[in-house]
Amino acid sequence: MASHPSPVEQLDALVANVLADWNIYTTVLAGILVAFVLYSVFSTKDPDVHPFLLARQSTAAPVRLSGQSAAYRSLETPHGFPLRLGLNVKDPGAPKWTGGRRGDLRDIWRTAVRGAVNEDGTPSGKKGKIYTVLGREIAERSLDQVTQEINVIGQHLQKVKAKTVAVCLTDSTELLAAIFAGAFYDFKTVLVPHNLSPEILSAHLKEAQADVLIAEAGSLDLSVISKANKQLSLALWVAKSGSRHMDWNEVPKDAKKSLQVAVWHELVESSKDLAGFEVPSYDPTTKTPTVSTIWPSSKELGVFIEFKPENLVSAVGALGSALPRTERLNPDDVVLSIDSLSRSYPLCQIMSALFSNASIALNSVAGEKVDFALATAGVSPTVIIASSGTMSDYHRKIMQPHTGPVSRLGRSLQARSLDAGYMPSQNFFSQITHVGPTAELSLDKLRLLCISHRFDASPTTRLTSEQLTDLRIFTGARVVYALTAPGVAGAVAQTNAFDYRRLQGPSHFGAPLSSTEITLTNISESSPSEDGPIEGDINVAGPAVVAPSMTLVARGRISIDNTLELCP
Amino acid sequence: MSIASPINLILASLFVVLLYYHFKPKAAVTLPHGPAPVVFRTYTPKTLIEFNGENNQPVFLAVRGRVFDVSPGRNFYGPGGPYENFAGRDASRGLAFQSFDEEMLTKDLSAPLDKLKDLDADQLENLQSWEERFSEKYLVVGKLVAEGDPEVPAS
Repeated sequence: MASHPSPVEQLDALVANVLADWNIYTTVLAGILVAFVLYSVFSTKDPDVHPFLLARQSTAAPVRLSGQSAAYRSLETPHGFPLRLGLNVKDPGAPKWTGGRRGDLRDIWRTAVRGAVNEDGTPSGKKGKIYTVLGREIAERSLDQVTQEINVIGQHLQKVKAKTVAVCLTDSTELLAAIFAGAFYDFKTVLVPHNLSPEILSAHLKEAQADVLIAEAGSLDLSVISKANKQLSLALWVAKSGSRHMDWNEVPKDAKKSLQVAVWHELVESSKDLAGFEVPSYDPTTKTPTVSTIWPSSKELGVFIEFKPENLVSAVGALGSALPRTERLNPDDVVLSIDSLSRSYPLCQIMSALFSNASIALNSVAGEKVDFALATAGVSPTVIIASSGTMSDYHRKIMQPHTGPVSRLGRSLQARSLDAGYMPSQNFFSQITHVGPTAELSLDKLRLLCISHRFDASPTTRLTSEQLTDLRIFTGARVVYALTAPGVAGAVAQTNAFDYRRLQGPSHFGAPLSSTEITLTNISESSPSEDGPIEGDINVAGPAVVAPSMTLVARGRISIDNTLELCP
Repeated sequence: MSIASPINLILASLFVVLLYYHFKPKAAVTLPHGPAPVVFRTYTPKTLIEFNGENNQPVFLAVRGRVFDVSPGRNFYGPGGPYENFAGRDASRGLAFQSFDEEMLTKDLSAPLDKLKDLDADQLENLQSWEERFSEKYLVVGKLVAEGDPEVPAS
């Protein structure tokens, strides 16, 4: 028996033999091993969103028409239920269980002026502010002051029986006030991009049949415009604070009979005691007039898009709810738009910020292609709304050339946490790696970047998945990337703020918003595309679309994760 | 004292394995494809009758020109069910009369569709409530037109 030890005894001897070799190196190795196990256990974080929600981001309808794909919808609004119609405004005093109203622009302003409310509906006294960035200077306005301007301008325009008011201003409180005055005092607003040549502006006014023009004092030659626009009865100048001492009330000689001229700040000054700080009372069942914007198209002039209030509120509501609950705009936010408010995506995002009682910041240089670093200097925003043109420019000219070896190393480490599904934490080390690529920025509080891409913009401005990753890592902010199209208020589709996946090539545009429904038409039925992506012309329908449905002149693709991509 | 003892080698290789698993790129999550969407079609009584649930075909029935896929309710509408007469047929008249007999169906499949002109208010209401129930529960997968209608797809 003794010459044949049992297997257990053999094993015991083997273990004893191996352990007998334990020495100082073994202790060190074991220490490293334990430390590594502890590190990997405690450093793993849960992903921000369940990976399955990113693996299928929209739902396809169970039935489709021949030659078309199924209709795709946001996960918020399943098939068989209505798409998001509006803001779901609950009036005070309305029974608790009733559904809210769709609301309109007046409700947005009233909510902004009322300020944030506590859980039980009592006002918490926290109100947003409006900042205007003028170069290095910042002008701060309270919402009450702007209400007063809305009242003064609205009453004045009502007195002159304005029907259609063309607003040709840089992003400013006056621009916002004019839009809201239109809703409260019943006139259509037409947002015309500023810095157009007088001839083109004149043609726009003609097409819109505008009877009032609000423009920056001294920015244009009134005689050219009044010659071609006999219907124009009032020009309202907005004078910058530096040029208010001048007399702007001069009327060109040949238009003296038909055209009046007034100055914004003089009107406000003279009748502010009459107008008051109160939001005008209104009957929510009446409809508010339309707001038109111009979509730059291949035609020199661009096309007018007339948004009904229903389109706008549906888009505002959908943009608000498209953000994950923890990332929604809130009263502590400062939302800066560096994209022009005469475009519908920034406009709807700013409206959404006002409706969420966030503070907003407007920049007078805002536009489709601006210097990101310069435009964001001066304020410390938590949310920035920018265009893909601005961001791709910034990435190409500043961020990429300034990414040195240290930044690249830091980036690859932090990209690992993005791959694991959570935002990399900001610490001393990450700050060192960010110094280079973000040297010119002063965005300590930034948490969200909203980037919109025009579907017909140059393909060079389309951001790739890697560029979005760079932006996430180096600015430390989450990114949403939206596709915009003429005739669709807000956006057609927008990525999930928690979608950090790094994919190949140009980024996708996520799922449709809850205000739209996407169908691909003209798909080829012959190819066996059961599993592959479906390709076709993008057709958009829903309450945010001005027409019942609209087909974009672009091919799109629904990939395996049910997100929308533009075909190259 | 040697660094290359068996226990050190074991620990070192264990460490390498752990490192590998920690840094291994994880495969992206993909979900299997859902069922492919059904193509909306235009049926005539003759093409609709194939979808009566026999030989594992789906069960369709038509109500006032709308074709419903009632396969989830195969026990009722499929072969052997109490409503099996309706499978693959225009069921409008039968539902309106609340009767599941054969004579409620249009026998001649090439005849024009039943216009239901002779129904009274109660029967119309009855039909309406059936139709609402169907649209809540089942998918509309096509429309029914008479034989010879210009909308009939050329086969």
